[in-house]
Order: sequence, then structure tokens, then C-alpha cells
Amino acid sequence: MNEETADTINEAAIAWVARLDRDPGECDGLDAWLVGDPRRRGAYLRAQAAWTMLDRASLLGDSRQEPDPADEPASADATALDIGGRGVSRRHLIAGSAAIAASLAAGGAWLFLPLGDEHIATATGEIRRVPLADGSVASVNTDSRLSVAIRPEIRRVALAKGEAWFQVAHDRTRPFVVEAGEIRVRAIGTAFSVRRYESGAAVQVTEGIVEAWKRGEEAHPVRIAAGARAFVSETATIPVAPQLASAEIDRKLAWRVGQIILDGDTLAEAAAEFNRYNAQQLVIPDPVLAREKLVGRFRTNEPDAFARAAAGMLGARADIGTTEIRLTRE
Amino acid sequence: MGHCERHAVGEEGQHRIIAWVGSEILPHEADLRLWLRRIVGDNEVEDIVQETYCRLASLADVRHIRNGRAYFFQAAKSIVIDRVRRSRVVSIETVAEIDAANVVHDEPNPERIAGARRELARVQRLIAGLPERCRRIVELRKIDGLPQREVARIMEVPETIVENDVVKGLRLILQAIAQEEIAADLALGNVGNNERRDCRYDQ
Repeated sequence: MNEETADTINEAAIAWVARLDRDPGECDGLDAWLVGDPRRRGAYLRAQAAWTMLDRASLLGDSRQEPDPADEPASADATALDIGGRGVSRRHLIAGSAAIAASLAAGGAWLFLPLGDEHIATATGEIRRVPLADGSVASVNTDSRLSVAIRPEIRRVALAKGEAWFQVAHDRTRPFVVEAGEIRVRAIGTAFSVRRYESGAAVQVTEGIVEAWKRGEEAHPVRIAAGARAFVSETATIPVAPQLASAEIDRKLAWRVGQIILDGDTLAEAAAEFNRYNAQQLVIPDPVLAREKLVGRFRTNEPDAFARAAAGMLGARADIGTTEIRLTRE
Repeated sequence: MGHCERHAVGEEGQHRIIAWVGSEILPHEADLRLWLRRIVGDNEVEDIVQETYCRLASLADVRHIRNGRAYFFQAAKSIVIDRVRRSRVVSIETVAEIDAANVVHDEPNPERIAGARRELARVQRLIAGLPERCRRIVELRKIDGLPQREVARIMEVPETIVENDVVKGLRLILQAIAQEEIAADLALGNVGNNERRDCRYDQ
């Protein structure tokens, strides 16, 4: 009766964990197996705990070596989010945009979109990569609205709401201008993001140089170069000098691959970020808990996974409801 | 023989116990095994470890447990004593050993009072020590959070390979937890050091 060895039990427990990890529905027979011997249940808990513990590795950020870009699966569809993308390092992003440019050139079809105004709106949680008629690409973040007009003399994008990152096709004859309320951002061939706020716009530049100004102040633009960002205010008269923050920019632009990267951000900041993307809102009533800092890398659309990981890290409890996730400490 | 009952603790309770075992218990498993090896035969250690985890699995709640390590040792100790009473395995003189070994579970090794980053570093080290393909698969699954199906697509391998590598990775990680924690802790200077990527868990 008791002939089954402990090692055999461990092997079976591991196989169950791997099988359920592939498909949580594949649990037929698990209960029957578990009740057969108390050691099985112990071995199963142990294997589950070890496997689940590895989730915390995502909290570390990513110190893996960067994969050789040649290893990367080619993205055949430029509009699909590269969710499989790994290192959100600068190099990786640049390689990614080159790949997109290449696929655009090869695809051709994108280049013959009608030259009319294009209106783009994303829902909460939606992140969309939209090729524009001039060969530029807009990555549009959650809950955003913009319209694009490609004209022979100018390329104009009006950002009514939200945030977008633009990979601008080089064309010296047609400046590329983003309007965010009273703020204007002009680029020739470059890559940058604009996020609109009530009182102004935050501009982050990943390649090249852009100029930004408040309407009426065209004569005194702020020049923002690659690796720098600036907040251009609608109210303040003196423009704020751009700050160099290239690592920070890469991190802040991780949404383009559907990720949120935390590096010493407070739980409150992290929650606000997740709440941009999800109807299921994170709530942290305890201000002390809300100030705890976190390091990690998550998918924008998995606030529950984030909540569980954060709860584990901070000794808190996550109550996961359909519209709300509450993080509390007893 | 089964005196290990299943409790209906619900999914939330289940998640909590699994998380608690991961952070409070697994780091002490190697120490527990060292202690067990002093009092029972090598061939019994694994059985006792499994039965100890079974005790933990039948807990309705773990939030009242202040010292996971002490609880873990205490549970193992009572299993050993049960076995002695039923004269299943251990000889009666081991009882003295058991009591003499009390100190073990009262003083968590200061090395193990780990900060969050330290604990994460431990997890990362475990993953970094896996063989190449297995490591990539575990990383895609655990760091990137991709489902196995997606991992298979990216790695361009059949899903069965992914599942098999999950089995292999988990087996190696459990072995490391059982055997190598102490050595690994001594090597804490290597935390995050990419050079360790190639190492295997030698038996």
C-alpha cells in the first residue's frame, strides 16, 4: 500500500503543477490522486509553492541578458502588439522600431492609405499601434483620442486626450506637428511621446530632437533631445528646461509593449498607473501601505496579478472583486 | 495512515497558503532537511518532508503564524515523534536528539531574515541556474507571464516541450531548494551575477 516512493510522489506532484500551469482546467483526477496518500498532498503544496514563488522574479525587473535581436520572432503584423517582446531596454525598443519600419516597407499596403483625416480612439486598456499614411507609426495608449491629417505641406496630429508615441518618418519638407491643447510639438524625423494633461503636455523624446511650445510662444520653443523629457505648461510663461532621463523614458514608455515597469515607485503611483488601463480599479485605503515602494514588471491588463504579487511582497492582503481590487494590511 | 484532512479553505485561502509557503517555508527547507538527516535515516527524510507540507496544506489559515520557520520545524518534529511512537522508522534514542535539536527552530539564521530584494534575488538565482532552453521557457512563463501556449509559439517548439521543460525546471528548482540553499546563500555575493547562468544544479 505504502510502496510508492517519496520521489515518485514528487515527480507526480511536479507533473500536476506543470499540467495545470498549461491549462488550469485539466484537473480531472487531481483530487483522486491527492487523497490517495497524505504525502501527495504535501508534495503538491510544495511544488505549487515553489512554482508560484517564481512569479516574484517579475518583481525584480529584468536583469536578463538581452536576447540577440536575430532570435526574436519576426512580427509579421505591424499593428499587432509585440506582447512577446522581452527586454524593454533602449536597444531593444530601437531594434523593434527598425523591424516595424522594415515590415512597413515590405508590406507596402500601409503606405497607400487614403490621405484623409484619420480619427483614432482607444478604449480603456487598449493599446494600439497605427501606421500613418506618411509611413510614420503612432502607438496610442489607453483611453486616448487623436486625429491625424497628412497634408502635402504638413503632418498634423491633434491629441484630444491621453497619450501617444510617434515614430516619425523622415520628411524634411513636411513637418510633423502634434497639437495637445495649447501645446505644440514639432519634429522632422524622430521618435517621441506626448501625454496630454489638464494643464499642459509631457513630452518624452526617444530619438532625434523635437521642439515644443505653447501656442503664441512659437518664437521661444523648448528643444528636447533624445533621452530627455519636459513638461510644457499651458499656464506657466517660462518653459521648464528638459531633463535628461533616458532610462526613465524607456520605463515610462513600456506601455507600448503592454507593460508597466516599476522601479521604486510607490504602491499608490503603481495603482494609478494600472487604473489607467483597467476598469477593475486598484484601491489602497491605507496611506502607509500606499507609500510602500515596489520594483517590478507587469502587464498593463493584469491588475490582479500585480495585486497578488504586491500583497505577497508587502505583507498585505488583496481582495479581488470584479470592479475593484482592495489592498489592505491587517 | 492519512490523518491529513482536506479543508475547504476557498481559493483565496489556498492562494494565501501557497504564497506563505513560498516566502516563509521553502527558504528553511534545506535547514530542516539537515536537521532531519541527523535524526532519521536518509530514506525517511523525503517522506517526513512531504508529510510536514501536508500538515501545512491542511491549515485553514496561516495569518496567525508569526514564525513560519518555527512552525515548520515544530510540524516536522511532531511527525517524527508520531513515527517513533508507531515505531515505524526511527529508534527511540532519537527522541533525545529531537529535543536536543530544539535550538534549531528557535533561531532563524540571520542570513535568512531576508529583505524583499534579497528574496527576489534568491528566486532569480534559482531561475538563472537552469539549463538554457529550460531557463528561457521558465523566464517567458514566469517573468513575462506568458501562457505556455504563447511560450511555445515564441520558442517555436511544441507545447509538450514547454510543459516538459516546466516539469524539468520545477524539478531542478525544488532540488536546489532542498539541497543547495545553504551553498547558494554563501554565494550571495553572486546575486544577479550573469556569470552564474550556465551553472547546473550538480547532484
